[in-house]
Amino acid sequence: MEGLGEEKLNMEVTMKKNEDSHSGPVWNLAELLERVDNDQELLRDLLNIFKEDFPLTMRSLESAVAAEDLENAARLGHTLKGMLSSLGGMRTAAAAARLEVIASAGETASLKGALDALKCEAASLLPELEAYMAEVRH
Amino acid sequence: MKILIADDDALSRRLLEKTLERAGYEVTAVENGKQALEQLAKLEGPRLALLDWVMPELDGPEVCRAVRKRSERTYVYMVLLTSKGTKEETVLGLESGADDYLTKPFNAEELRARLRVGERILLLEDRLVEARENMRFRATHDPLTSLLNRGAIMDLLARELHRSHREKKSTTILLGDVDHFKRVNDTYGHVVGDEVLIEIANRLIGSVRSYDFVGRYGGEEFLVVLNSCDPAFALGRAEELRKSVSNHAIQTAKGSLSLTMSLGALLSSDWGPRPVEELLHEVDTALYKAKASGRDCLRMAQPITRTEPETAPLLQPARLRR
Repeated sequence: MEGLGEEKLNMEVTMKKNEDSHSGPVWNLAELLERVDNDQELLRDLLNIFKEDFPLTMRSLESAVAAEDLENAARLGHTLKGMLSSLGGMRTAAAAARLEVIASAGETASLKGALDALKCEAASLLPELEAYMAEVRH
Repeated sequence: MKILIADDDALSRRLLEKTLERAGYEVTAVENGKQALEQLAKLEGPRLALLDWVMPELDGPEVCRAVRKRSERTYVYMVLLTSKGTKEETVLGLESGADDYLTKPFNAEELRARLRVGERILLLEDRLVEARENMRFRATHDPLTSLLNRGAIMDLLARELHRSHREKKSTTILLGDVDHFKRVNDTYGHVVGDEVLIEIANRLIGSVRSYDFVGRYGGEEFLVVLNSCDPAFALGRAEELRKSVSNHAIQTAKGSLSLTMSLGALLSSDWGPRPVEELLHEVDTALYKAKASGRDCLRMAQPITRTEPETAPLLQPARLRR
């Protein structure tokens, strides 16, 4: 059992390292355009869904972190990770992934820091998305 | 082709939906595992499914396990969508019954390619099922008339007799033989003889209910099993079958032929639990009596009871003698 626990810890450390990608663009538009086959209408749809869902999920996550509700924090971190990576926001997705790993591992003490890091990455991403939406609207 | 997407993330769902619609799929999108299972349980439901790993209600692997438990249903090709990437999780996903997995965020080209693999597997499964069904049909049906063959109808009869005895109902067994059929073959040839047998088979099938059985028992002999048949109506229904042959001439390549059929009949409720072979022997004897009585008629097989003289008229059903 002890061995398995160690293995899990090593795996998490590896994941953290992999996801610790502070380099690279905040938003990888080129990758997203490839994913949507250059369909601008679909891209707008996705951005609109994101604009609606992201703040709601973030608020729920903040409440879960405040209440030290690890299970929900992990679940919401996972949801955000999926949402952000589908949209090409890889740095913010990595921050969400870190939070998910921390919550799953029961590291309550690190949770708040992980949330702040996620918010910080989101603060760089959101203006880029807004700017793009404003641009395509005109 | 129909495909199911199950993902609780609206963004991911929309992206998948559009990507797959563009690839020509008929998409159904749901947001949790329970809804996914409901869609996959439908008779004409999707046979390709993309399931997110983490979902409310039931997660992806749980949906896979539930689908695989229903072994009698057609195969569903399931792909798990996961942002999990460890070998342990991949193994867990595949062992839950998934056929493949794809890591999020997916690449559209890779997704389409993997689904084409799924389509190939499903096509292969369809061909296997079709081949198996063809073999099953050939093993249980007469190649000339497409009626049940002797072995198949005997099996069904045995099962039906058990059931009717258990449920205290009656099964009517009819054995019909085309009168003077040899003359048809001798006079017009076997091709015409075959035409006659096919037409009689069609008439018999057309005269019974969908849950009755009609089989080719031998050359020109047909066995009909009327399931859960009220004894009060059995004679009338047997007469209808006889008349279905004699009422209209049969059109053949060599002209129209008027033919008749003699029938032996037996009501299982008159006999109680007996082996199939024994009951069939009794019906055969009744048929022989119909032939001896001038053909184109029906005779009932009745058990001889101690209270009755052996010369009791054999032509009346048991209920009339009571």
